[in-house]
Amino acid sequence: MLTETETRLLGVMMALIMLGMGASLTFRDFLIAFRKPKGVLVGLVCQYGIMPLLGCTLALLLGLPPALAAGLILMGCMPGGTTSNIFTYFSKGVLALSIMMTSVSTLVAVAVVPPLIALYSGVAGVSGEFVVPAANVAQVLVVLLVPTVLGMVLRKANPNIGATVELIGGLLGVLVILFLIVSWVPRNHQLLATTPWPVYFAAIGLGLVGMALGFGLARLLREDANRSRTIALETGIQNGPLAVLIVTLTFTGELQQQVLLIPVLYSLFIVLTSTAVTLWFRRLSEREALARDRAKVGSLPVAPAR
Amino acid sequence: MQAADASLYDRRVWRSHYAPGTAPDLPPTPHASLAAMVDAASREFAALKAFTTVVPNGMNGSLSFAQVDELSDAFAAFLRGELGLAAGARVAVQLPNGLAYPVVAFGVFKAGCVLVNTNPLYTRPEMQHQFRDSGAEVLVITELFADKLDAVVGPTPVRHVVVAGVPELFPAVPRGIVRAVQRWWNRALPPIPVPHLRFAAALARGREHLRRLGGAAAVRAWWQPIGPADTAVLQYTGGTTGVSKGAQLTHGNLLANVAQIRAMGTSLIEPGRECVLTALPLYHVFAFTANLLSFYEAGARNVLIPSPRPVQNLQRAVENTPLTWITGVNTLFNALLNEEWFVAFPPRRLKAAVAGGTALHHAVAERWEQVTGTRIVEGYGLTESSPVVTFNLLAGRRRAGSIGIPVPGTDVRLLDDAGQPVPPGEPGELVVRGPQVMARYWNQPAETAQVLRDGWLHTGDVAVMDADGFFTIVDRKKDLILVSGFNVYPNEVEDAIGRLDAVLEAAVVGVPDARSGEAVRAYVARRDPSLTAEQVIDHCRTLLTDYKVPRSVVFRDELPKSPIGKILRKELKAEVRSEAAAAAVAREPADA
Repeated sequence: MLTETETRLLGVMMALIMLGMGASLTFRDFLIAFRKPKGVLVGLVCQYGIMPLLGCTLALLLGLPPALAAGLILMGCMPGGTTSNIFTYFSKGVLALSIMMTSVSTLVAVAVVPPLIALYSGVAGVSGEFVVPAANVAQVLVVLLVPTVLGMVLRKANPNIGATVELIGGLLGVLVILFLIVSWVPRNHQLLATTPWPVYFAAIGLGLVGMALGFGLARLLREDANRSRTIALETGIQNGPLAVLIVTLTFTGELQQQVLLIPVLYSLFIVLTSTAVTLWFRRLSEREALARDRAKVGSLPVAPAR
Repeated sequence: MQAADASLYDRRVWRSHYAPGTAPDLPPTPHASLAAMVDAASREFAALKAFTTVVPNGMNGSLSFAQVDELSDAFAAFLRGELGLAAGARVAVQLPNGLAYPVVAFGVFKAGCVLVNTNPLYTRPEMQHQFRDSGAEVLVITELFADKLDAVVGPTPVRHVVVAGVPELFPAVPRGIVRAVQRWWNRALPPIPVPHLRFAAALARGREHLRRLGGAAAVRAWWQPIGPADTAVLQYTGGTTGVSKGAQLTHGNLLANVAQIRAMGTSLIEPGRECVLTALPLYHVFAFTANLLSFYEAGARNVLIPSPRPVQNLQRAVENTPLTWITGVNTLFNALLNEEWFVAFPPRRLKAAVAGGTALHHAVAERWEQVTGTRIVEGYGLTESSPVVTFNLLAGRRRAGSIGIPVPGTDVRLLDDAGQPVPPGEPGELVVRGPQVMARYWNQPAETAQVLRDGWLHTGDVAVMDADGFFTIVDRKKDLILVSGFNVYPNEVEDAIGRLDAVLEAAVVGVPDARSGEAVRAYVARRDPSLTAEQVIDHCRTLLTDYKVPRSVVFRDELPKSPIGKILRKELKAEVRSEAAAAAVAREPADA
């Protein structure tokens, strides 16, 4: 369970992260992305089509108790995490696409996430005190939209401040996860030791299976290998800290403790799995680039003599 | 064929095409030296932004005209006061585009010294050659390549080293962030192996001396004696074709070219209202004279780009500054036209673009005008002529493929191999006479005598003149391909290939051929990977006679380019030669 101070600190960090995310965008970037919206649309389908369904399915398959199921479903319905951009960069993926997918999924979250939570909570049989009220979710998302738009305006007004804010936001995106781990894990190591394996499976599986499904769907929809890898990372990496924030604002006491478990575990493990996947993707990217180089040296078609 | 009369050229039939109000004979410049020009412009436009440097993430720094004036005074005081340089001493500058560059360049002029423009990407041997040849005593170098100083201090006359960063003179926070990223993230800042002074420290010392010497008046004493005949810049050239040699460009040469450029820019260059994108390196003579000198004189804002490759690095600069002019080379314009963000939102206030350095391809020019709705004009010149010799018109009928008309005050003739003027419409070597032509090559009397004959500069370029006095470059003499004794001009073939939408760019060279002596080979970078060699050749057949059509086509991801983006045919020719050598070796019978 997070103390009041920690919750407030988390809120401030999230606001700054959103500010940074807004500062990385211009209105023009959106206009350009929407001229050829396929990549972004595929991302949205993965983000809000696959992930919530996956969360609900895992909850049902593993027979999780309602508090944990609520946490898992919440996690599945979240928009993309900002750390996906960093991992995409390191894996030599398509950074512009990653930034655009994260931004768009965050911006539409206000409208899309509350109904999704309501839907899948119902399907999974989560009810009553365990349900995350749609209003709460909407409230948090709206509040975070403000710094996002502010960031975009800031970028336009003063590129120096905008770029600085973007950098700070990016750094905080990583730090906030460390903050969560450091503030929650030591206090709850007993709980972690006694947590049954299906919970761990769910927290890790949401990310890994999400990545696999995202990759598969992207390839199915004819995106090239590199873009598909970027979409995979984007799909699997959810905004963990946002889920934590929503839970701490919605629940208190023992209930908060339980619902918080999966979002925190997810946040912890997603860093590890993303790192491993990124290293693998990076090697694939480099191998593909090398193959392209070799192909070009080998091509020496000669015209037929007259 | 009877040779023509020189008067065919000397009567300057193109004069009627100058914009109204342009004096066909250049009026004498009001300034005796570049320092005087900088001084006057700085006072006239004091509060306006003179330079803005934009790095890829959008962080930027700016200097006003008054600030540039003050800083260059300080740097001049550093050179003459602190370092004790004599008038005429050579100062080498080896910086990418950035705020430090104009401060150094103008400071050197104000100190009455000579600027030696040096490419930051030079290897150690190249640096040694240039510094020894020029006798440079001071080097201002970018910290990105300061590790190469181990080859400079000691083996060359350079005694004082100043190191400047890319975000020099930026506001503190962006400067700190950019340097931190360079140092810790990119690991791009090598340890510096020699004693040196940082740029800020040099300026501080300069200001100290200025205070003691009585301020700006002291600086004036240094540059006032400088006249038009004095050397301003040693501009090294021949890097892509031969031995590097320094063209001695005088204050008069450069001031004349500035006036000539202003004249051709006409009313489209409004004093104090322009904003020009400077992606081309300032150490190259084209951007040096056109962007740095001419636009400064016009009170324009120069948007400096430290690293224009990849072209995405220009995005924030294009979005955030009100560009009215862009200077570039064909490669740059081509690259911009392939960027979605540029094509979707071309700069709204753009008035015109100027292409130099290499031939502007037809397809690129057309597409540019389509996308931006503004004129793109080609100019022609060489380092030895400061550089502009001819320029196209910004208004009136577009003459595709032409390099335009000679700028005011310039004479141009076309000569045959015997040195006689060629008849109208016939190709001949372009020779130039005018106030912008260099004095000589530094310490190279033999090379100078080869190129400057009877007051005419022999360019080595082949051109034709039409009845209106418009010139068209046919090709460089040395790049001619001889197929069965017929001249094939690579530019013509490259232009034809470039008309294919699927082609990004092409370079054409000659390869040895048993039947025809030489045959044409095209190296092509594709936009569409499904394009085949057969398609390229068939396309060429529709536009060119048989002997000009490429016999072979090689596809590449990228073509070799010089630092300013000129495609280096000579590198491709070297590849061809080594292929031939390897093939010859393979044919040798093995030793018993």
